[in-house]
Amino acid sequence: MATPTRVPSAAVPARRERLGGRKPTRDWTPWVVGAVTAAVMLLLLVYPIVTTLLSSFVPQGEAISWRNLSFTNFERFFSSPMYQRAFTNSLVVSLGSTFFATLIALPAAYVMARVDIPMRNLIMSLSVIPLIAPPFIGAYSWVILLGRRGIITHFLDQWFGLQVPSIFGPFGIILALSLSYFPFVFLIVQGALAAADPYIEEAANIMGASRWRILRTVTFPLVLPSIFSGAMVVFVRALGNVGVPSVLGGDYYVLPTLILFQVEGFFNLNGAAAIAIVNVLLVLLFLLLVRRFSGKKRFVTLTSTTRGARRSAKLRDRVLGSVYVWALLLVALLPQILVVYSSFAERWAGTLFPTQYGLGNYRLVLTNVLQPIVNSLTLSGAATAMALAFGLITAYVALRKRFAGRWLIDLTVMLPFVLPGIVTGVAYLTTFNSGWLTLSGTAAILIFAYFVRRLAYSFRSISASIGQVDPALEEASVVAGATMGGTLRKVTIPLIAPGILAGGILVFSTLIGELSVTIMLFTGKWKTVSIAIFEYLTSYRTAPAAALGSVVIVITLLLVFFASRLLRRSMADLFR
Amino acid sequence: MKNDVLRIENLTKVFDTPEGPVHAVREVSLEVEEDEFFSLLGPSGCGKTTTLRMIAGLETVTSGSIAFKGRDLSRLPSAERNLGMVFQSYALFPHMTVFDNAAYGLRLRHVPAKQVRDRVMELLSALGLEGLHGRYPSDLSGGQQQRVSIARALAYDPDMFLLDEPLANLDAKLRVQMREEIRRIQKDLGVLAVYVTHDQEEAMSVSDRIGVFRAGRLMQVGVPQDIYRDPTSLFVADFIGKINFFPCTVVAADSAGGKVALRSGREVVVGRFHPLDESEREEFGVETRAVLAVRPEHIELRPHDAADGPVGVVRRELFLGSIVRYFIDCDDATRTVVVESAHPPADVAEGDTVRLVTRPEHALCFRG
Repeated sequence: MATPTRVPSAAVPARRERLGGRKPTRDWTPWVVGAVTAAVMLLLLVYPIVTTLLSSFVPQGEAISWRNLSFTNFERFFSSPMYQRAFTNSLVVSLGSTFFATLIALPAAYVMARVDIPMRNLIMSLSVIPLIAPPFIGAYSWVILLGRRGIITHFLDQWFGLQVPSIFGPFGIILALSLSYFPFVFLIVQGALAAADPYIEEAANIMGASRWRILRTVTFPLVLPSIFSGAMVVFVRALGNVGVPSVLGGDYYVLPTLILFQVEGFFNLNGAAAIAIVNVLLVLLFLLLVRRFSGKKRFVTLTSTTRGARRSAKLRDRVLGSVYVWALLLVALLPQILVVYSSFAERWAGTLFPTQYGLGNYRLVLTNVLQPIVNSLTLSGAATAMALAFGLITAYVALRKRFAGRWLIDLTVMLPFVLPGIVTGVAYLTTFNSGWLTLSGTAAILIFAYFVRRLAYSFRSISASIGQVDPALEEASVVAGATMGGTLRKVTIPLIAPGILAGGILVFSTLIGELSVTIMLFTGKWKTVSIAIFEYLTSYRTAPAAALGSVVIVITLLLVFFASRLLRRSMADLFR
Repeated sequence: MKNDVLRIENLTKVFDTPEGPVHAVREVSLEVEEDEFFSLLGPSGCGKTTTLRMIAGLETVTSGSIAFKGRDLSRLPSAERNLGMVFQSYALFPHMTVFDNAAYGLRLRHVPAKQVRDRVMELLSALGLEGLHGRYPSDLSGGQQQRVSIARALAYDPDMFLLDEPLANLDAKLRVQMREEIRRIQKDLGVLAVYVTHDQEEAMSVSDRIGVFRAGRLMQVGVPQDIYRDPTSLFVADFIGKINFFPCTVVAADSAGGKVALRSGREVVVGRFHPLDESEREEFGVETRAVLAVRPEHIELRPHDAADGPVGVVRRELFLGSIVRYFIDCDDATRTVVVESAHPPADVAEGDTVRLVTRPEHALCFRG
């Protein structure tokens, strides 16, 4: 039999010439993907951002050149009271919305994760509706409810003699935005609470801590990073939202509506660029502050245990928990419910409730606004296809390949996140309005903007799907003799197809009601549903707006519901 | 006799990690013969799986070569190496039936449908999977999934059969049954097999030869009996089976053996000497220049006054059915001495002071 092979000692150097035996077969995929990512990064992100930055330092209407550089546009933040007010208002509105959204979301997240209340799946699914329905569509409902002659105002006055502050202004905007965006905090924190290792809390319990003490000293600190990241999303959204303050602002301007005013009123792109830059600086400032507070606090509580946290089955907890959650959902969904309700109102003037119901509004919008519906479907569809293709290749490479340029993918996916919608709109308008690449008035500018805005959605949803696929499956296919392309086609894509489709539906459905970017970039030929609704709302034709809004709400809801069935995951999971 | 088919020379793998380069495999050289069943054995993180993955082409080679029948594979893409591989997680394609899984490699090789069918059906029935060809992997038990993954790996007559801890996810009874089956089918097909495991009993029972790994290095290669009887390092002696270490100094040595003195000054006649690595000496807590190693079943217990040899006190006596295991406190050993006896002496009980006796051919000495 063979004699034991003595192992050569470490002193023997590797023989270099062996490396040259056969030309190594290069794997080109990372390079191709790197090039595509770099192109997207440069053309659709860096180029618009730099152009916007430069043009913000150029007086209105002047060309970008060294001699023209000045601080004129930014000086208006010191000289113009309107700018100053818009700046403070924006801070008030976004901080206020972030604060209240977090405040109302946390108890709900705790209840869902720690109390055994009935109809959990229904509650989780309902909680994403505010995210699916564009907030500006529901915003006008608050006027109907809480306006000077609103339904709730009327009863509060009659029964209790209570006066409601004017719905036009900070009160209405913060109310509408908090109730639209609280699910971001709710979903993230609920997920973190549900995933937290139950043994940690049980250990505290065994050591004699009360439930309140555990909550304060163990649970809350553990989910603090999740609370911050949820709050971050709310802040960026609130700061970039143009629809709600347009509907509920009146003469209460915030930065996004000021941008809109500068562009629509004076076509002052340079001024708008400066405001957009200030807007982004606010986001970055907030991001840095949050980093400062939560930067070092990254807890990993996910352990090998698959056991979930024990949920309280006490009757008192269940009743109180249910009451809170359902009350929150009712208030948050009231605008959407009212939109659907008022879409059937054919005559509603000067009375508390409509005097005549019918389908007239639907007939009106379906005859008058068919083109915008087709446009929305076309633009969203094209952008979705792009986002999916990009998401698939980048997510695959990011998860399965080791190469040096991975940070580029992360950056490209994350960068649009810190750009509020209206800022992307201004940047694209400024950049692609003239010059070597003029896209203004084309479908392409909208599709690119949509694509950039939703890139992170498709990337995250596809990389989550790929993450579920055991890499050994792909290795098994390769060892058996398949090429990388063949493996992708025969193994990876069939396995993640539901994830791709669901990601696509998510992107598509949230694009149908997109307003912040669209309002900057649309032209008559490419008017979308969201613009049509917005125009109805700002001209106080609320009934057709409600009908069209209902169509958007129902279609997007059905799509998301279908996606969740497809993935056999709850609707809430799709947004987490 | 020598008919190397797989020849690995100076194989090295360095991973670049954020903490700096990590040497997963260092200068590994070995040869495997035509239809040999070769196991890579070692504790987790020792480089055995990385070595297998380099043979499979799933990991790039930092330096060194892997040649099959004289052809260098080390720069060849995995898909062109014509290998069959069984993964720890089985890695069955969940969206394909058992038949489609097993036929995957044949279809990639454009084998006519009729032949694919015959070959797959033949293999499935050889593996006891008749009638399951239309099922999906999720409908199968762990053992059945394991068989399907074997069928998939062997369907297209691969040049090498690679197995990466294939039995780790099975329960103990099925593990014993499957390892016999794997060996049987490997011998039936006469395919060269490289098998990765951390379970020394598994490696001993299925392998023709074993390569023992430690921290990226190949410590020893040999047939199971040789590795067990004649380990060339303290690590292999300790990792394969159980062994007792007694620090000692060499009194006399020649080619036929020699004599060593233990801590207590008592002398023991030894049959063989091996060199002792300085780092191992420290790791195993040996303060002297040499160490005597004896397996539990090679120590005999005698009443204190009935023989000569190291003295110990029986701390615990465990009745394990076919054998009795004793734990003995002995000042001459590095740790509690384990003794296993198929014929336990009637006159030894817990608390007794005993003498430890071994025969020269079972006494192995490592010296620095």
